Amino acid sequence: MSLPSDIYSAFEDIVGPENISDKDYVMAAYRHAGPGAGGREKSPGPAAVLLPGSTEEVQAIIKLCNRRNIKYAALVSLFAAGRILQPGMIFLNLQRMNRILEINETDRYAVIEPGVRHVQLKPELMKRGLNYPTASVGPGGSVLANFIASGDHHMQHGASRVNRYLLSVEWVMPNGEVLKVGSIGNNAGWFCPDGPGPSLRGLIKGWNGWSGSFGIVTKVAIGLDVFRGPKIMPGEGHSPDFTVRFPLDRHKVHIFKFPGYDKLRDAMIEMGKAEIGFAVLKFFYATECALTTTSANEFFEVWNSGLYQRDLPFALWVYLATYSPEEMQYEERVMWDIVKEFDGQAVDESIRKKYDDNLDHMFVIVSNLQRVLRLGGGWAGTKLGGDSISQMFEVAKTIPEYINEFIEKKWIIDAPYNYQVVPMEYGHMAHIEMLSFFDVTQPGHPNVMMPLMQRSAETDVKHGFHTATPMAGNPAHGPLYSNFNLWVEKIKKAFAPMN
Amino acid sequence: MVNKPESSLELKYRLQAILQPDEISDRPEVLEKYTPDISGSKSRPFMVIYPGSKEEVQSVVKLAVESGTPLVPVSSGLPRFHDGALPEKGGIIVDFSHMNKIRQINIPDRYAWIEPGVTFGELVPELKKQGLKLVSPLLPRANKSVVASRLEREPVIIPKYQYDFIDPLLTLEVIYGTGEEFRTGSASGPGTLETLKADKVNPWGPGAVDYFRFISGAQGTMGLVTWAITKVEILPSMQKMYFIPHKDIKVLADVMNQLLRKRVVDECLALNNVNLASVLASSWPDDFKKLKKDLPPWTLIMCLAGYKRRPEERITVMEKYLHEICAGAGVKPLTELPGAAGMENLIPELLSGPCPGETYWKLRYKGACRDIFFLSTLSRAAEFTAVMQKAAGKHRYPKEDIGGYIQPMVQGRGCHCEFNFFYDENDKTGSEETGKLFSDASAALLNSGAFFSRPYGPWAKMVYARYPEQVAALKKLKGIFDPHNILNPGKLCF
Amino acid sequence: MESLKDFLYTMTSCNHCGQCKWLLGPKMRSWKYSEVCPIHLRYGFDAYSGQGLINIAQEILEGRLKYEGGLIELIYTCLTCGACDVNCKSIRDMEVLDTILALRAKCVEDGQGLLQHKEIAGKIDQTHNIYGKSHDKRFDWMPKKNKLSADSSVAYFAGCAAAYKYPEIAVNTLKILDASGIDYKVLGSEEYCCGTVLWRTGQTEAFRKAAEQNMAVFKKQGIKTLITSCAECYGTFRGGYPRFVDMDIEVLHITEVIQKALTESKLKLIKKQNLTVTYHDPCLLGRLSEKYVPWNGEIQAYGVHVPPKPWRRGTNGVYEAPREILKSIPGVKLVEMPRNAENSFCCGGGGGVPAVFPEFTKWAVMERLDEAAGTGATAVVSACPFCQENFKKTSNEVLKYFDITELVAKSL
Repeated sequence: MSLPSDIYSAFEDIVGPENISDKDYVMAAYRHAGPGAGGREKSPGPAAVLLPGSTEEVQAIIKLCNRRNIKYAALVSLFAAGRILQPGMIFLNLQRMNRILEINETDRYAVIEPGVRHVQLKPELMKRGLNYPTASVGPGGSVLANFIASGDHHMQHGASRVNRYLLSVEWVMPNGEVLKVGSIGNNAGWFCPDGPGPSLRGLIKGWNGWSGSFGIVTKVAIGLDVFRGPKIMPGEGHSPDFTVRFPLDRHKVHIFKFPGYDKLRDAMIEMGKAEIGFAVLKFFYATECALTTTSANEFFEVWNSGLYQRDLPFALWVYLATYSPEEMQYEERVMWDIVKEFDGQAVDESIRKKYDDNLDHMFVIVSNLQRVLRLGGGWAGTKLGGDSISQMFEVAKTIPEYINEFIEKKWIIDAPYNYQVVPMEYGHMAHIEMLSFFDVTQPGHPNVMMPLMQRSAETDVKHGFHTATPMAGNPAHGPLYSNFNLWVEKIKKAFAPMN
Repeated sequence: MVNKPESSLELKYRLQAILQPDEISDRPEVLEKYTPDISGSKSRPFMVIYPGSKEEVQSVVKLAVESGTPLVPVSSGLPRFHDGALPEKGGIIVDFSHMNKIRQINIPDRYAWIEPGVTFGELVPELKKQGLKLVSPLLPRANKSVVASRLEREPVIIPKYQYDFIDPLLTLEVIYGTGEEFRTGSASGPGTLETLKADKVNPWGPGAVDYFRFISGAQGTMGLVTWAITKVEILPSMQKMYFIPHKDIKVLADVMNQLLRKRVVDECLALNNVNLASVLASSWPDDFKKLKKDLPPWTLIMCLAGYKRRPEERITVMEKYLHEICAGAGVKPLTELPGAAGMENLIPELLSGPCPGETYWKLRYKGACRDIFFLSTLSRAAEFTAVMQKAAGKHRYPKEDIGGYIQPMVQGRGCHCEFNFFYDENDKTGSEETGKLFSDASAALLNSGAFFSRPYGPWAKMVYARYPEQVAALKKLKGIFDPHNILNPGKLCF
Repeated sequence: MESLKDFLYTMTSCNHCGQCKWLLGPKMRSWKYSEVCPIHLRYGFDAYSGQGLINIAQEILEGRLKYEGGLIELIYTCLTCGACDVNCKSIRDMEVLDTILALRAKCVEDGQGLLQHKEIAGKIDQTHNIYGKSHDKRFDWMPKKNKLSADSSVAYFAGCAAAYKYPEIAVNTLKILDASGIDYKVLGSEEYCCGTVLWRTGQTEAFRKAAEQNMAVFKKQGIKTLITSCAECYGTFRGGYPRFVDMDIEVLHITEVIQKALTESKLKLIKKQNLTVTYHDPCLLGRLSEKYVPWNGEIQAYGVHVPPKPWRRGTNGVYEAPREILKSIPGVKLVEMPRNAENSFCCGGGGGVPAVFPEFTKWAVMERLDEAAGTGATAVVSACPFCQENFKKTSNEVLKYFDITELVAKSL
């Protein structure tokens, strides 16, 4: 379904003829599914794609959409982009808006447009000894989209979800007007998201984001942390066998196995209380295997050896990153005190040593998360919730209640401990995610994403666990969650009455 | 608005049906407590209620909606420095001091679940007993509500534990202006509080909205909070204080920035000689005068900490970083408090809880104090100090009498700048001049890019007049959560 | 050779992660020069990328997409530089470039090939070179004094570009071979175009014919080792020929030969040249130069390839040899561009594009020259006459261009 010609012309006047297309073959690139579903499933695709180059163009497009009742969605990379569900919608691809507007080294923030990718911002910050929390999507992911749409990342033990690092925002509201949220709205710089008074930042993002369905964020400031690694990415060798080595006297990954959930949990909590470790997490074991091998065949060679199943179901990854060898030695001593107290042991050295050669397997910089898609392309994350470390392990204990039937039917890879619990803010909270791999390319392998989410949600509701899956999977769950759905509707009605 | 006695009488009867007898009062001497003279407000409350439960709050809100009666929430005791709790349009004071239960202290996951009436004076010692520490603002009043402090995004003195400006507030339960109950973040559900298996420490959401942010900085205009959960931290097993004297806050701001980048220090703040003297002086005015004279213009106060395991080793490592950073900045960290030798031992205790003594520290010098505070970045702290001094000069306020306090926030990515003007309420001319200075200096700072993120009293008008698009958005929010404008009307831009 | 339907697995398993467009993480250096796909960088829409082209391929295969105006142009704007392919393969078991090539073959099969490419095929058919010049003149470049070893099993394959347009490359190559003490011969009138442009424009049958013709000559002349000075010939012999013929011949690029000779001290580079250079990796010498090994297996559940597939991920491209050579030349300082080795940005000369979209080729080489100039180098060095064609057209006095054989020959 293409746009009426007068509307097309009006859009063309806004962005210029080079930056709009409704050609069927150009739309083909947007008709195929994103992660988790694979190319076997298709959507109607957009009626047109526009590449706006400025906030003003975005505003003009939204206003025209409102006048002519055209639905739109914004995207940058297509990795996590919501698929077009309604014929006649248009995509605003913001990739041309790709400037790094400011890097403030002293006050530790960067101001960026939506099209800036990790692979662009990271090296500029590394040169300056800075970094930002990065939800893992690979080098080509949009930094702004990460900050607006997702939250958790692997280095959050000594930091936090990206939510905390989202500072002032420039937002084109659903009515097409610009709202500058936080200190920038008061000509006071970009450093603060909240105020004056009640924080409008609450509209931009909660646990997750609006997936481009509630206005369009055109600029954000993000908080920066000190980067303890080298100034230049130390990648050597050639794809896919890169090494990324950091000095071992200041950067080291340890992996310990524990006798069960409770001791693993307690060791994790104690690491947080001791404030040691740059990253501490119970990591996905099958995902780890996928990340550190270079083909599906190699994955199964390692996986079928049984080593991971023996050593990693209750394993804790500890990445120590310090400013000096002395600090490293101190942290190592405290780490071992804790490990011993909770009956932990080092896992097989072959697993740990890979990190000496490529620390980015640990998601320290951008990593290569997409490797998990190699196992058939299907990827279903369930739980995706957050609360205390203790609660996250209680949630983890119930995973077999819904996962086993999928494993028995061979609809997902047999990896019942492929969940991660990643603490943040030195253990004040934690995130849980269960990751299941399914094959989107093989006939006879159903797309289990929705069924998995549904069964996971049922388990959570049954136990009273707070995770995000029920909300994501079924809007009818609203009444169970403080009727939040009704408030969302009111907010939408107030700010986006035309939707 | 219900301000007339005849309708208020009926309202009183209806409130009596909702509340316990000791939860309601309209005695003049009680009402007087909620209308301090300094406010200049002509409006007075006609009733004070002290609800004891969420259900009572809910019923009161519904009644207020029906009758169009303003509700003004109050959680802390006197004195109040900002007029967030003053009833601009009369109505009922909802005093939460009866809802003062510490519902839970959780050691492994480090949080406290508290009702709004719980004060720093109550919570700090309770936590200490369990080996925990409440990260607090500088010397809060003992009767200050912890929940109110968190909701107001007050700065805390250990910036390394703050990951954003709303931290360490986690989740909360709120009664909106519609009378509906809502729980934020991981407290939201599934199910009821009784069936929910969560520690309720995930502040975000539920879903794509951060509801707790709407309540923060709202001065009670968006909802009445009936409990909240705040982070607490481990009580260090070892501490070591360091001090850096300097005449230039720019140098100290840079040192604080460097230290917080590496998270070397726990407590970290800078006070000028006036404020530090006010805090330390035990006998007035002699002690104060001497200290004010002897103390350096600014003192950076820092604490290194070690925790349960190998505390000495941790402090050794951090000390090395401290000395490296200071050497780079050309300053020397001292273990003795310069200008007040021997008093350094008082500092850890002072920083660990509420303000001791009968008189609050800001009132000791002249009996009254006007505070100007705002947010900015450490790199601009010196610039604003200069703006402040210039404004004071115009009003002939003695430069050497201005209190100064720079509190890094959010690991040094921002800071709270505060200037205090001490005055004698009995000196009418002096009081008025201080009032004018307050207005002019606030305007000058605003024009220079100071961020008045918590716009109390006259600041609200100044701030919101400049940013109509933010006001429009806030009014939409207000229309959602308090559509009848019964919650603290007349505040902010509502 | 596989046809489009053989790449259904690639088409259906793409998750739009974007790695086909962006630099690999370990190689990131700066905000600028972070994109690897020339068509995506130039045109912006995602259809102009490896991901977009495999989506288009799938829809054409399934009959969902018609050959409307502009589609063929899009398909043939791609330089087939393989940056998308290698980057995708850093994380996935997919064949992006082979899918694009199979898509082009499908276009030709459906009568949608471009006239300009058909004309080149005609020239190759009739004159055995891409320029339509007389076959008799193919060896006019050959210095008369050169001694050839008629019985040698080693042959130097000059290729069309060196033979007709840049004879100095061929001449310098022979000088180097002589200096290295290598016995070799040339194929004389039996050297025909390698067929690279046919392969990369989807003219499969014509390419098969070229491969069979050349292979028959190699066999007849007893060739066991083929030396090329052209990256296109090199990559085509290694990556293209095994799809059609039994390619049991060792193929070496002159840079590999030089590196070996230097290592074995059979060649000495003596004369100093004061130059700061940056090296441009030609696509078919770098990331696309790995030998193709036919695989006829089955892709089972969860992506398991049975029997295991020998992947061409660009790991073992000829990256180090030219760099080692440049570092061995006295006075030469080598500086790297942000996009190098397997992430090298195409000069714009590949995939039959210059013949059809010269403006796009010009844009691509300008982008590359801008990147080269940013290194502080005064010259770009490469090892492919087709790259030379583009660079020489656009480089100027500030940034010179040298084929690596020229610098080596000057240093002998």
